[in-house]
Amino acid sequence: MSKNNELVDDLVAKLKRRQLVGSSTVSQATLKLLIVVISKSNWTTCNQLVTIVKTVGQRLVQANPTELAVGNIVRRVLHVIREEFHEAESTISHKNQASTSEFHAAPLTTSSSMYNLLGETGSTPDKNLQFPSSLRSNIIQEIREIKDELENIYDNIKNQASLQIHSNEIIMTIGRSKTVEEFLKMAAVKRKFQVLVAESAPSYSGQEMALELSKAGIETTVIPDSAVFAVMSRVNKVILGTHAVLANGGLVAISGTHMMAAAAKHHSIPVVVCTGLYKLSPLYPYDEDTFNVQFNPDSVLGFEEGDLIDKVTVTNPYYDYVSPEFVNLFITNQGGHPPSYLYRLIVENYDPNDHSFDL
Amino acid sequence: MPPKERVESSEQVLQAVILADSFDERFQPITLETARCLLPLCNVPLISYTFEFLAVAGVQEIFVFCCSHSDKVKAFVKQYGKSSNMKIHTIVSQECMSVGDAMRELDAKQLIDTDFILVTGDVVSNMKLDKVLEEHRARRQADKSAIMTMVLKKASPQHRSRAVGDGSLFVLDQSSKECLHYQPVKAFKSTRQDRRMTMGMEIFDKHPEVQIRNDLIDCQVDICSVEVPALFTENFDYQDIRADFVHGILTSDLLGKTIHFHEVSDVYAARVRSTQMYDAISKDIISRWTFPMVPDSNLQPDDCYEFRRGLVYKERSVVLSRTCVVEEKVVIGANTQIAENSVLSNCVIGKNCIIGANVKIDNAYIWDNVTIKDNCVVQHSIIANGAVLEQEVTISKGCLISFNVIVGANTTVPAYSRLTTLAEDEDDDSDATLISDPAVVGATGRGRSFKEAEVSDSEDEEVDPKNKLVNRLAFDLSILELEHQALNDSASDFESEGSDSEVDTVNPAEELDREIAQTLERAFKEGHDIDIAALELNTLRMASNSNFHEMRKRIIPGVLRNIDLTAKVGSGNTVKEVLARWGPLIGKMIHDEADQVDGLFILQRACAGLHGDISQAQKLFAPALRYFYDVDITEEDSILGWYHSEKSRQGTETERKLRDVATPMIEFLEQSSEDDEDDEDDEDDEDE
Repeated sequence: MSKNNELVDDLVAKLKRRQLVGSSTVSQATLKLLIVVISKSNWTTCNQLVTIVKTVGQRLVQANPTELAVGNIVRRVLHVIREEFHEAESTISHKNQASTSEFHAAPLTTSSSMYNLLGETGSTPDKNLQFPSSLRSNIIQEIREIKDELENIYDNIKNQASLQIHSNEIIMTIGRSKTVEEFLKMAAVKRKFQVLVAESAPSYSGQEMALELSKAGIETTVIPDSAVFAVMSRVNKVILGTHAVLANGGLVAISGTHMMAAAAKHHSIPVVVCTGLYKLSPLYPYDEDTFNVQFNPDSVLGFEEGDLIDKVTVTNPYYDYVSPEFVNLFITNQGGHPPSYLYRLIVENYDPNDHSFDL
Repeated sequence: MPPKERVESSEQVLQAVILADSFDERFQPITLETARCLLPLCNVPLISYTFEFLAVAGVQEIFVFCCSHSDKVKAFVKQYGKSSNMKIHTIVSQECMSVGDAMRELDAKQLIDTDFILVTGDVVSNMKLDKVLEEHRARRQADKSAIMTMVLKKASPQHRSRAVGDGSLFVLDQSSKECLHYQPVKAFKSTRQDRRMTMGMEIFDKHPEVQIRNDLIDCQVDICSVEVPALFTENFDYQDIRADFVHGILTSDLLGKTIHFHEVSDVYAARVRSTQMYDAISKDIISRWTFPMVPDSNLQPDDCYEFRRGLVYKERSVVLSRTCVVEEKVVIGANTQIAENSVLSNCVIGKNCIIGANVKIDNAYIWDNVTIKDNCVVQHSIIANGAVLEQEVTISKGCLISFNVIVGANTTVPAYSRLTTLAEDEDDDSDATLISDPAVVGATGRGRSFKEAEVSDSEDEEVDPKNKLVNRLAFDLSILELEHQALNDSASDFESEGSDSEVDTVNPAEELDREIAQTLERAFKEGHDIDIAALELNTLRMASNSNFHEMRKRIIPGVLRNIDLTAKVGSGNTVKEVLARWGPLIGKMIHDEADQVDGLFILQRACAGLHGDISQAQKLFAPALRYFYDVDITEEDSILGWYHSEKSRQGTETERKLRDVATPMIEFLEQSSEDDEDDEDDEDDEDE
């Protein structure tokens, strides 16, 4: 147990210090930690295990509340745990039913999300049911499946590339997203098209993106962020990466994305967002700043400019909130979905009891 | 990630030494009651920032040196160590009086076996040291004599994160990253030593190209090799790591050690060296220059700050009334309550504070459990834990209100006050009771104003009091200048319109005033020879790096002041006698024609300055002018030049009248040289 704590402390510290950033890295680290926590700690009932995982999850989420993927992964794991217990319980009660032939009120044990929607939630198994020892390994097995899913996420997304990108199209994107990069590279295998990348000041990650794309033989042009609107009329499709997708279908994405999406909407150009499902968060944005990170202003105004920094306030928000009406399509590892369908994915992947980690 | 205990100590464990004591008194009286490194900076103890900085650098073992309030530091470190995976040891040594002592102690205990990071307990930085460490190790491999790498941050000399008066000048070789010379820079260069930099010429033999730089913040983050503590032991008189150690190593021919530097830009690094720096760094943290070390990263485990627009950081449990205004750059700690109509801007408020209605807080740092009642105003000050401000209290800027002070109702605490509740004599621990000073804290208050202990011990170098002042919170250099102008004797009134009273020159000017006044007085009293007096004055001039104009400005009034207009002939104090005796001294300060004209201006001003009444002043001026002319201190041309210049017509009424006094003499002079000077008349006409 103490060793578990140590590992949790370690990950918490890394998240706090931002030594681990990026949805993909943090979610893998979280998953790895949770596997250890679940396999090493003592629990017998569903509630116990949920409490353990939630406590860890709460600490991780608090360490860096803007890395929404951490919370998402913890919720996925909790969902898996609840389902596994449910299944185990139903098999046991079936046996009981068979032996005592007494009616047991749980006919709808299929853990369909529709069932949860109808309101009877959290019928967590209580009593002193003896769960089979295979339960632990079943849960771990399920979590490993999530892990596999995380590892293969790019493959699943990029396989849809040729459906989205057609020959001689002009695609616009912003910032550097591994998902978009893989997606475009995959499309380039079959098709010939042109990509415009906004440089994404002040991080200039768009420039890196352009470099990577051009290395893959894609015809790439870097444009300044301010030129996005001007060239938008020539573009056929905007393909964006994102840091997180919120419950309403809104995006938390690199700053500049909102401007690009708005320009696209003005020109009625489709906006496609490539994202793994692990970025889908059941949280709702109450204001635009909730999930934002204000970075060091150094990249906007050098700290060396001593006389100036006294007199001005410099803010350097890293993310933009893009509301769902700007997005036409999400391409996830489970296929393409319109923003209005996201609620369904949330219900399927997360248990409503886990949206907040308060115990 | 293996737990740290498993790491074999034979492997390279990265060690760091934190000097938790600052060995100075800049935060007194607050630091009389707690350790400097535990002061909250944006509601997080200072040393936490240092721990965090080292943790990011991958340090596994830390030695914390502390001497004053060691029990408190120890308790904090123990608590901190629980939640951290670094091994933190506290070393208490009461007789530690300086960095040098700490290093000698370190050497004696043999705690360090590899290269280590040496920092002070007040560093705030978000830089990553891995590159520096790598560089240092590579250099050590190549050259064993490279014993230390200093990390320097680039920033312009006027940068707010640079401690005023704690500057340092580095002579560097960019190609070999070697530091060649070091010189501390004070704000007021009062002694000759402060004003000069002496550097060995042999530096240029080995380093054809050197940089002399004053744009580096020295945040005293050093990568030291094991030899460094040993060197401190060998040179037992080294105290300061920079002024003594670095300077000593670099100027020593025998040791043959070298010190290198690593220059960082685009990261943050600064030290809380003074209250002024405390202010600046707090602002930097709030403005997120230290990212990711910002309040909303919640460095302390139970913190839960949220970021709001306008750089406002608020704990979840804060209670804000509906009408209070939280302007920008504010940090508010847990469970703090703020009542109606209060206005907060640019401030940090600690945990569990209660702030009443209609309170205005600007630029202030309010620590935990402070109560501020209705209608108070707090400006640019630090208020420590547990203090209470009753109703309608005004705290002017630059105050330090120490722990548990109570300021009674309707009191105004003047600027730069330092209040404490400690009894007067803190040296002997006899329970001397506190005598509250109602003049300072009001009738119902509790506390007294704190007077800094005079540094009367055998400090070999005297510290200019002004250099102490500049470090203070909310210190404004312009105030210092104003104060000086008020203090300066009448001599400073003579400063011409181009009064170049820059910060740097104010002090030497005053120094010179005093020195010259003394020299003259001595000369008058003891009846020195003119030559001897002139020699003394010239020496002064050279020592202060001054010019003849400055000398004249002081000597002419000095001599004139000696004249007693009512004295009887023979007393030695009449105009004639004094001029006859000391006039040549003035002559010694006047050389070419420009000097002569200048001398006359000074004479004009001096006479007017000494006697506001024209009838008195002319009694002084006329004979003096006559004398100047007679003994050829000033020549005819210069007198005419003076008379016709615009400048002589300006000034006070007395000054202008004095010019008229000279008119008969001018007419005489002009007549005698009418033939060759025609154009004079034209100008005279314009004059009418």
